[in-house]
Amino acid sequence: MSGHDSKYFSTTKKGEIPELKEELNSQYKDKRKDAVKKVIAAMTVGKDVSSLFTDVVNCMQTENLELKKLVYLYLINYAKSQPDLAILAVNTFVKDSQDPNPLIRALAVRTMGCIRVDKITEYLCDPLQRCLKDDDPYVRKTAAICVAKLYDINAELVEDRGFLESLKDLISDNNPMVVANAVAALAEIQENSSRPIFEITSHTLSKLLTALNECTEWGQVFILDALSKYKAADAREAENIVERVTPRLQHANCAVVLSAVKMILQQMELITSTDVVRNLCKKMAPPLVTLLSAEPEIQYVALRNINLIVQRRPTILAHEIKVFFCKYNDPIYVKMEKLEIMIKLASDRNIDQVLLEFKEYATEVDVDFVRKAVRAIGRCAIKLERAAERCISVLLELIKIKVNYVVQEAIIVIKDIFRRYPNTYESIIATLCESLDTLDEPEAKASMIWIIGEYAERIDNADELLESFLESFPEEPSQVQLQLLTATVKLFLKKPTEGPQQMIQVVLNNATIETDNPDLRDRAYIYWRLLSTDPEAAKDVVLAEKPVITDDSNQLDPSLLDELLANIATLSSVYHKPPDAFVTRVKTTVQRTEDDDYPDGSESGYAESSSHVADGVTSPQASSSSVPAAARQADPAPAPAPVPDLLGDLIGLDNSAIVPVDQPSEPAGPPLPVVLPASTGQGLQISAQLTRRDGQIFYSLLFENNSQVALDGFMIQFNKNSFGLAAAGPLQVPQLQPGASAGTLLPMVLFQNLSTGPPNSLLQVAVKNNQQPVWYFNDKIPLIAFFTEDGKMERTSFLETWRSLPDSNEVSKDFPGAVVSNVEMTLDRMAASNLFFIAKRKHANQDVFYFSAAIPRGVPFLIELTLVVGVPGVKCAIKTPSPEMAPLFFEALETILKI
Amino acid sequence: MGILFTRMFSSLFGNKEARILVLGLDNAGKTTILYRLQMGEVVSTIPTIGFNVETVQYNNIKFQVWDLGGQTSIRPYWRCYFPNTQAIIYVVDSSDTDRLVIAKEEFHAILEEEELKGAVVLIFANKQDLPGALDDAAITEALELHKIKSRQWAIFKTSAIKGEGLFEGLDWLSNTLKSGGG
Repeated sequence: MSGHDSKYFSTTKKGEIPELKEELNSQYKDKRKDAVKKVIAAMTVGKDVSSLFTDVVNCMQTENLELKKLVYLYLINYAKSQPDLAILAVNTFVKDSQDPNPLIRALAVRTMGCIRVDKITEYLCDPLQRCLKDDDPYVRKTAAICVAKLYDINAELVEDRGFLESLKDLISDNNPMVVANAVAALAEIQENSSRPIFEITSHTLSKLLTALNECTEWGQVFILDALSKYKAADAREAENIVERVTPRLQHANCAVVLSAVKMILQQMELITSTDVVRNLCKKMAPPLVTLLSAEPEIQYVALRNINLIVQRRPTILAHEIKVFFCKYNDPIYVKMEKLEIMIKLASDRNIDQVLLEFKEYATEVDVDFVRKAVRAIGRCAIKLERAAERCISVLLELIKIKVNYVVQEAIIVIKDIFRRYPNTYESIIATLCESLDTLDEPEAKASMIWIIGEYAERIDNADELLESFLESFPEEPSQVQLQLLTATVKLFLKKPTEGPQQMIQVVLNNATIETDNPDLRDRAYIYWRLLSTDPEAAKDVVLAEKPVITDDSNQLDPSLLDELLANIATLSSVYHKPPDAFVTRVKTTVQRTEDDDYPDGSESGYAESSSHVADGVTSPQASSSSVPAAARQADPAPAPAPVPDLLGDLIGLDNSAIVPVDQPSEPAGPPLPVVLPASTGQGLQISAQLTRRDGQIFYSLLFENNSQVALDGFMIQFNKNSFGLAAAGPLQVPQLQPGASAGTLLPMVLFQNLSTGPPNSLLQVAVKNNQQPVWYFNDKIPLIAFFTEDGKMERTSFLETWRSLPDSNEVSKDFPGAVVSNVEMTLDRMAASNLFFIAKRKHANQDVFYFSAAIPRGVPFLIELTLVVGVPGVKCAIKTPSPEMAPLFFEALETILKI
Repeated sequence: MGILFTRMFSSLFGNKEARILVLGLDNAGKTTILYRLQMGEVVSTIPTIGFNVETVQYNNIKFQVWDLGGQTSIRPYWRCYFPNTQAIIYVVDSSDTDRLVIAKEEFHAILEEEELKGAVVLIFANKQDLPGALDDAAITEALELHKIKSRQWAIFKTSAIKGEGLFEGLDWLSNTLKSGGG
């Protein structure tokens, strides 16, 4: 078997990436273009081709527009993962933004906006500035959008460079498309900022109104949305604006229509003349009606918006109720919304027609729709006093059909009708009681029981009816139990005879002793006490007059309605929720620093491992005052990407499992790399490195105090990282006199505070002491420190593992600079780092070595090194279940080979 | 017919371009030289953050000239461009005597590169039009060019602004490359 398996080692396949790399560097333009196409294809199916970054970027300066577009596409995707190399593209952007072809200029500026790499944004400001003043309107409008994107990356930069002013200038542009895009950009910036940035003045107002008539439909939407936020000075100005906008109501695009409606509704608030208002309402009806002849999805959006509109101005569609009648083939979601609006529009004038419709709907097959139709009849009864009787007769007709759910729904609404019109329609109770046994839904049962209790004196056999429910009391849902309790009490108070008295005993017993429901128990105790102390008082309480109800279901709170009306034609008006309820947006600008301040160090969950020094207890006050200053120093620009906000993560970090380990501090042997230079640390210099000793990971640290004061109370904290590294014990650093230094080995644990996302070697560390602000620094996690002592594999299991892993788990890399001149030494060095030699074979003139290694949690690495002894150039291929670790592994290997 | 043949030939053989890197410290005049060679004009330039690449045809050889930014922040990325390079044009600002030491260090670091072992080296002692510019001998001294072994090299006094010396250098380059020096 092993003889056959050797073929798995003799792979001569180069792999896709090196092949592509070669083709990208081809002499021939066609070949390069094909290669870029292949790269993009690989990218779109999710393969990681980021390692080809420079090779692809080198194809960027080309006359071929197609190729250029492809490279730009690649850049947008990968610039973030290669932030350092992205700088190589800057000059090409600068050049392309001056290209004679406006398409290329616009393409460049558009792509620039999509590259969210902090390091290069600054370089892109000049080209952007130029493009904002370009001769070609297409370039200008693209640049306008780019400003909004840039604002999202770096608001401060946009403000400093005066881009906001340039954008505002573009509102006066002679090209309507540019105006619309400038408005869109400004509106978006405004949404992300808490400061007033974009305010329409009377001057810009006329510009916008002029552009409105000439720009594209989507441009019109942007302008209308902006205009709807404008507060007109007086009724006359509002009338003027509305007059200019009214023609938009006839637009074929429903987004334009809805935005125009929104804008007009907003301005109408200011208009006082009833004539004008009536006239406008008349004008808005036909376009809204037209929306209902579109596809069902658009109908739904329109209906949700109309629902809001009719709550504010019912007159607009008062005469159009017929268009909201449900068609048999309407989707259910449209039917439901239509019902809602029909209820809102129902009036004494049209109620007969509406009731006919409802009755029809109540005999359809869709249960939810039927229920809603029955409820609609009840709600109309409550809303329209004069029509109540007609509604009830329809309900009674429906009950006679004896469809179970219709009956139950009818009983629920009739209960409400009884409350709304007391002592009016009780004659129908007898009919209701006929259906008593068919009730199986809690709400219907509860309603029926309420009716029996409320009208116990008029129902001869009320006690019998209630008794029939009592048998199953313990099994009933709490809703029904509560009603039973109250109804029994009512019955007893109204007919204090023997039967009810026994019943009340049973019920109170059940509701106090036998139940776990505190609501039920409390209510039962109250009744009990009332009844036992003063039955007359109990009567006053239980049988008191009830306030009259109105139909307020599905009515929105006026202030919410205002907000939603201002957001017509957005998701907010479809959800009927204010935007901030479902969109979380980070407001940028100056406020940011305030947000970063957190009041109390200990409260913020900043778990600290305190140093064992006499007065090592730090006051939280002292640390809190220093944190914001340090935060600003560590991260001067408000930089959202790509490095995760250290502070933010530290706050959210959970490091509860700190195990104190008494580890003697000992200084490390070779000099440690400096991670915090004295110039940054106000005289405190920190050198540190992760190392592995005796199978454990330590953070080897050296503190040197070059400041003028003694430093004490050192503490350390690690941010979330790819390996979940955290301190296993407290940091042990004695007080450092000026000029003194101290080294320590901090034991570390793994998988404590894991960060999400692809693994990277970034280790963010915060160190503080009692005298200085908190210092933040970045260190690299060397994978070497993680290779475990038990990583050695038997030959056979190596073969098996190699075979079991799919080819996609194989990653390879060339180290052109590495030389192996002495095989023995190299093998020793690798073994010292827990990379275990397995086998060696010859392939042509090359030697192929196999190694195994493992990192904690049993992740194995199978390694194949191909090299010629004494000749530079080592090729390494690895197979592992976690190929995303490959870059880190290669870094580690490079260090070992380079020693 | 004749034209057709020429086209066929050029498409078959003529596309082979010599790959040349223009390197040097920032503000040495690399971009100006590139466009002087390509268009014969002086263009106004800004610091190159990244690279420029242009094709220059001279003496029947097509040069694919890569002008790489010389800023300290970009120099580390020069190595991305080293593979398959036939020649390096190293541009020195002859008037910037303060930074000649850095120019020398960068230059010798390039020569050490494995991937550039076979590349010929052409040095332009640029900005000869400026007062106080050192001549080619002084630059040779300052860059310690005599230390170069096993590699063909040449130095020319140039002024990219005036267009002097550039094509002489290119002549040398094309002859050296033709004779198989690259």
